[in-house]
Amino acid sequence: MSGKTASLSAEPISAADGRSLESRAPTPWELRQIEAAPKSRNRIAADRATCALPLVLAAAVLAQYKLTPNLNDAATTDVYTCFILLLASAVLVKFVMSFFSKKTFEKLLEKAPLYTAAFLFFALYDYATIKTGILPLPYFPWPDRILNGIYEDRALLLDCIKNSLILLFSGYFAGAAIGLLTGLSAGLSRRVRYWVLPLIQILGPIPSTTWLPIILIVAASLFGGSVFLIALGVWYPVTMTSMQGVLNIPKANFEAARILGAGKARLLFRVALPAAMPNIFQGLTQGMSVACTALMVAEMMGVESGLGWYINWQRGWAEFAKMYGAVIVICVTFSVVNFLLSLVKRRVLRWQEGYWN
Amino acid sequence: MTARAGHVSLENVTKIFARADLNSTLVALEGVSMEIRPAEFVSIVGTSGCGKSTLLRIIAGLETATFGRAYCDGELIAGTNPKRGLVFQEHSLFPWLSVRENIAFGLRATGRYRSGAGLVDALISIVGLSEFADSYPHQLSGGMRQRVSLVRALVVSPDVLLLDEPLGALDSFTRMNIQDELLKLWNEHKNTMILITHDVDEAIYLSQRIYIMSPRPGRIAGEIPLRMSYPRNRSSSEFVNVRNEILRRLDFAKEEQEEYNL
Ligand SMILES: Nc1ncnc2c1ncn2[C@@H]1O[C@H](COP(=O)(O)OP(=O)(O)OP(=O)(O)O)[C@@H](O)[C@H]1O
Ligand SMILES: [Mg+2]
Repeated sequence: MSGKTASLSAEPISAADGRSLESRAPTPWELRQIEAAPKSRNRIAADRATCALPLVLAAAVLAQYKLTPNLNDAATTDVYTCFILLLASAVLVKFVMSFFSKKTFEKLLEKAPLYTAAFLFFALYDYATIKTGILPLPYFPWPDRILNGIYEDRALLLDCIKNSLILLFSGYFAGAAIGLLTGLSAGLSRRVRYWVLPLIQILGPIPSTTWLPIILIVAASLFGGSVFLIALGVWYPVTMTSMQGVLNIPKANFEAARILGAGKARLLFRVALPAAMPNIFQGLTQGMSVACTALMVAEMMGVESGLGWYINWQRGWAEFAKMYGAVIVICVTFSVVNFLLSLVKRRVLRWQEGYWN
Repeated sequence: MTARAGHVSLENVTKIFARADLNSTLVALEGVSMEIRPAEFVSIVGTSGCGKSTLLRIIAGLETATFGRAYCDGELIAGTNPKRGLVFQEHSLFPWLSVRENIAFGLRATGRYRSGAGLVDALISIVGLSEFADSYPHQLSGGMRQRVSLVRALVVSPDVLLLDEPLGALDSFTRMNIQDELLKLWNEHKNTMILITHDVDEAIYLSQRIYIMSPRPGRIAGEIPLRMSYPRNRSSSEFVNVRNEILRRLDFAKEEQEEYNL
C-alpha cells in the first residue's frame, strides 16, 4: 500500500487524464480528486488568496505590535514577535508547498480561515490590552507577558507537566483496566451483571470529585487518594460502554467462535473485547475528559504538585500572566493526550467501516 | 483424519421455540430422525421456514433438542465442537479481523496455527480471494463473504461439515466452480457433508442422498438416494428426472402445509 502511495507523487493523476488510470488503481485521495467537480480559473485564484490570508493577518499583528505606541509606554519583549513569526512561518512553509503538492493545498485551504481567525484574535487582543487598555491589567495581561511568564517558569512547568501526567495516567489506566474487567464480564455474564448494575446505578450519577473531601482525610497518601479519585471517574464510563458494547455484539459472532473451538478466554479476549472496541473507545474518550477534570480538582485542592497546583499557587501571588500561561500549558498538554488517544483509536478501530476516509 | 469419524444420528428430534412476544410456542421440528454415515454427502431441501437451519444448529450443538436425541460418533451432542464445523446462512465473519485472520481463527483456537498457516493461503486462492486476503469483511461483496465463511469452516478440516446455504449469494458460474471445489475437498478429506440448499440442482449435483422436509412443523417428508457417479451431468436424463421428482414432492409438501393451516 505504501509503495503505491510513493509512486503516486511522481506521476499525479489529473481528472482530465483518465487514461493513466489504466495502469494502476487510484488511491483514495486521488479518487476524491477525480470525482470532484473541476474548479474554474477564478475559483482557483480565490482559493490561493484564501490560503495567503493568514500570512497577511500575521503581518498585521506584527506591524501593530512593533509599530504602534503602547499604553503608558509599557515595555515589551520580542518573545511574542518570535511566537507570531514561528506560527506565521509554519503557515508560510505550507503555503509555498501548496504550489507543488495539491494535497497540501487542499489541506491549507481547509484550515486557512481558522488560521486567519487565530491571527485576527491576536491582533484584536493586543489592541484591547497593550495598545488601548480596554481590557485592563492585571486581569488581562497581554500575550507577550503570558509568554514571558511561561518562559520564566519553564523548568517548574515541565516538572508540573510530568507530575500531572504521572498522576493522570496512573489513575486513568487503573480505572480503564478495572472498568474493562467489570464491563466485559458484566456484559458476558448475567450473574455478574446482577451485581454490577446496581453498583453502577448508585455510583454512576455521583461526580467522582464529590469524594475528594472524604479522600483527603481518609487516604493514607494524597497521591494514592487522587489516583483512586481519577480511576473512579474513568471506571464508570468505561464499565458502562464496555458492558453495552458486549451486549450489542451479534450472537452469531460468539456462535461462530464457539463452533471453531474457542474457549472461554478466547471468547473474552478475541471476540468480546475487539467486537466491543467501538463502544469501549467512547468510554475511554469520555473517561479521559472526566480524568482531566478530576486531576485538576485533586491538584487544586490537595496534591502539592502538577499544573492544577501551579495555577492555584500563582493565584496566591496574583500572577495573572502566569495563571493564563498555566491555562495554555494545560490546554496543550490535554490536547496532546487526547490526540494520542485518538491515534490509538484509529489504529485499533481501523477495521470499522468509514475509517479509511 | 480417522476414516470412520463423522457419523451423525438423530432420534426423534423435536424442537419447540418459545415466542417471547406472543407468549406462545412454535414447533419448529417434529420427530426428525436421520442416520448419516461417515463420509456421506447429504442435502436437505425444503421450503423457507421449515426448520432446516434449526436442524443444523442442533447437530452443531448451538441448540438443544426439546425432545429426542442427537448423536455424533456415538456421543450425545452437548455443546459445540470443532469436529463439527458450520457455515452459517447469514454472514457471521468477525468484522474486526481481516480475511486471512478470519480464516485462521479456528486454527489458532485449536492450537494448529503453526502447522496450518500455509493451508490458509492455499484455500484463499482456491476460492479466488488472494487479492483480498488483507481486506476487512465490510470491504467484501456478499458472495465474497460467503466464500470466506466457507473457507473458515473448511480450514480446520472438521469430521462433519454443516453447510447452511453456503453458496446462496453467488452467481451461477462461481457457484458451479465452488461446487466442484467442494466435491474435490470432500474426496480428499472424506468428511461428512450436510448441506442445506434452496437450489435443487445443487443438491442433486453434489449429494448421495437428499432429505426433503415439509414445513410447520418441520418433518422429514421423504428421502431420495442418488446413485449417479461423479462428476454428474446436469443435463442427463437421470438428473432431470430426479429434479422433477423432487420438485413434485416439494410442491406436494406445500399443499400439505396449506391443508394443515386450514
Ligand atoms: N431462536 C428462535 N426463536 C423462535 N423461533 C425460532 C428461532 N429460530 C427459528 N425459529 C422458528 O423456527 C422455524 C424454522 O426456522 P429455521 O431458521 O430453521 O428455518 P429454515 O428452514 O432454515 O428457513 P430458511 O430456508 O428461510 O432459512 C421458523 O418458523 C422460525 O420462525
Ligand atoms: Mg435457514
